[in-house]
Amino acid sequence: MITKENIDSFIEKIPPSPKVLNETLSLLKIGELVKAAKVAEQDLALKSYLKNIVNKPIYGFRNEVSDIGQIFGILGVSLSQQSVYNYMVALLSPDKWSLFKLNSALFHELQANLSKRWEAILMRLNIQDDNIYAAISLLPASIIVTEALFAQNKKEVELLRGAKALDYNTILIRLSGVSLFDICEEIAKKWEMPSIVSSIVQAASGVKPSQDKKIDALGKWMHLLLFYKLSQPEFIKAGLNDFIDFQVEYVSDIYDDFALLMEIE
Amino acid sequence: MKAVLKNGIAVFSPQGFLDANSSNVFMSMEDIESATNLKADMILVSLKKVIFFNRNGLDIFVKLFSKIRKKNQATVGFCDYDRKKYEAMRRFFHDELNFSLFKTLDIAYLFSSSFKNLNKNILIYSSDKSQRSAMAIELHDGGHNPIIAQSFEEFEEKKNNKAAYDYVIDSTFLGQMGQKVATRVTGNAIIYTVTSFLDVEISEQFNIEYHNNSLNVGFRLFIFDAYKVISMNIHALNFFSKLSSSAAEYNASICFVGMRFNKTPIAFKETMEDAGILFYEQMDDILQNKELLKELGASSASNIKYKRVINKETILELPKFIDATVSTLEMMTSAKAIKEAVNVRDLAIKEKKDNVASSIGYYGDIDGMVILVFPKVIAKKACELLIGDNTDDLEMILDTLAELVNIVGGKIKTLLADENISVNITLPRTYQDIDSLMEVVEGRKGVQVDLSFNDDKFFFFLTR
Repeated sequence: MITKENIDSFIEKIPPSPKVLNETLSLLKIGELVKAAKVAEQDLALKSYLKNIVNKPIYGFRNEVSDIGQIFGILGVSLSQQSVYNYMVALLSPDKWSLFKLNSALFHELQANLSKRWEAILMRLNIQDDNIYAAISLLPASIIVTEALFAQNKKEVELLRGAKALDYNTILIRLSGVSLFDICEEIAKKWEMPSIVSSIVQAASGVKPSQDKKIDALGKWMHLLLFYKLSQPEFIKAGLNDFIDFQVEYVSDIYDDFALLMEIE
Repeated sequence: MKAVLKNGIAVFSPQGFLDANSSNVFMSMEDIESATNLKADMILVSLKKVIFFNRNGLDIFVKLFSKIRKKNQATVGFCDYDRKKYEAMRRFFHDELNFSLFKTLDIAYLFSSSFKNLNKNILIYSSDKSQRSAMAIELHDGGHNPIIAQSFEEFEEKKNNKAAYDYVIDSTFLGQMGQKVATRVTGNAIIYTVTSFLDVEISEQFNIEYHNNSLNVGFRLFIFDAYKVISMNIHALNFFSKLSSSAAEYNASICFVGMRFNKTPIAFKETMEDAGILFYEQMDDILQNKELLKELGASSASNIKYKRVINKETILELPKFIDATVSTLEMMTSAKAIKEAVNVRDLAIKEKKDNVASSIGYYGDIDGMVILVFPKVIAKKACELLIGDNTDDLEMILDTLAELVNIVGGKIKTLLADENISVNITLPRTYQDIDSLMEVVEGRKGVQVDLSFNDDKFFFFLTR
């Protein structure tokens, strides 16, 4: 169904990050928000994406924000950088989803939701590292990779999953020895994302705990956050709730803190 | 979300958080419809991967459970939970608990009428005395040996003796159980347990599809355990007479054990005997009598009167059957399968040693049976995707082989449906050696296709 060759070919086809985005990120990393905004203005798709994202209700702005300089100014360095990475990941998403019942609007909604909640988690954990803020951007790439690899085999996968409750990550590992999150790591490498980004996302898979306590703890929060979002009706309908296995035991020690933070009664 | 069916139980496995908003979407009416079409004995929601639920979330499922029960009388409820979740559910529903709770899915299998593992020693404890008894009765009817702990202290003491029990049941509650006739398999005989008053309801309670499946896959002896039957009426009499007539086509035997006729007209017995039904006093009169078992067809499934020949309709669709098998095996192994030879003949396997087999029947617009024969190592390889670990556990390999052949059956059904040919598939059956397979297919002509992947050979055989 899926071979190592299919995976290599997928990784091969991932485009390098566009020059404008590289430049924008470099400027954001040194805190040059105004200059970064000027460079970002050149990419109209990025401008439209950022405008669309920050004006979602979860960002809570009363008036529409449309200028990139204004957007970067409001978001600050960490969240601006995170948003640009979100855009890069969104570039990989297909024009038409077939395995999952998604569209670009819903996918962007998921990205925005995860980003805002991740920000709240990092504030609660008193973490101000820009790279850790950016880590959440890579997580939805696992959904895009699943769609890209399994969409061609939709019927076979349905039959297989009808016989045994196997998640896509397990199927992929058993078929090829490579996990969805290994592929995400390859994407991160190709785009020269900081290594801590893929380390956290690997831990957030729930099946590859990190030896580094801090990264592992962040992986737990991210794993639980992902399933908190994937338990929402629109994402269950999209078929995302069981695309990877939720590891209840892995996150059980942080659940109470999480529930408090997310105000789960 | 789709349910996964195994051993007669359809399981929904939501993940994460269950509240009123999410529960509504986890199990849609369409999902319920397809789950009920699976003809499962039980439809359960697993809470294994649920970290949070509230009363509103569970309420949605409970309402759906009631719709399912109205439609097909299956046992419904939740499984796979810890003590904390169990207590929460008991607290939420208190006096309105009319669904079942099974601590694990394995415990639920013990109560499923399609479960094939028998004679398990099972320690039971519930603080509710009537629950203890209800569980013991159900398990006994299913062919197990229940042992009841009368107090929590006794339970704690007994459960430490791990070697004494195959299963330990606690934190489990039997709500309204399915009214399907309990079924168990002993060797080559199928035993159905019928109780109390047998009337027109028997045709609803008896799983005729399972019975037909069993005939199709080679079972020839069917025993009705009727010790607890009080009486039967004319509708039930007609039902059993018809059942016996249709079984005769396969040269199968139908027996009643322990049936008393003090409240049932004795003329009914004569009518049933005329229809070919045999009566015995005790179960052991049959099961311990090897000669009788042989005569009744339980020691061998080969003595079929009407050996049906492979027909043109089946041959025309042969490419689809092969495609379904090849594509499934390619999916499971990521290796290219190659067709080597096609012959119409009796199944011929030169090397019987270390081979295993699985079969699945199909019936509807066309009917027949697909058999796959693998060397054990190849079976293991073909099942690796489903098993995950590298295992030599033959039982697990055979169990997984059944899942594999079920996927092949599903694929066949889909491919034929594309041609407007409607078929249903039977339950899969596995054979741990070729001799037991030959008992079923001996003397049957069919199409044998020799296939290989990565130079490993296996056989596909299509017969009727």
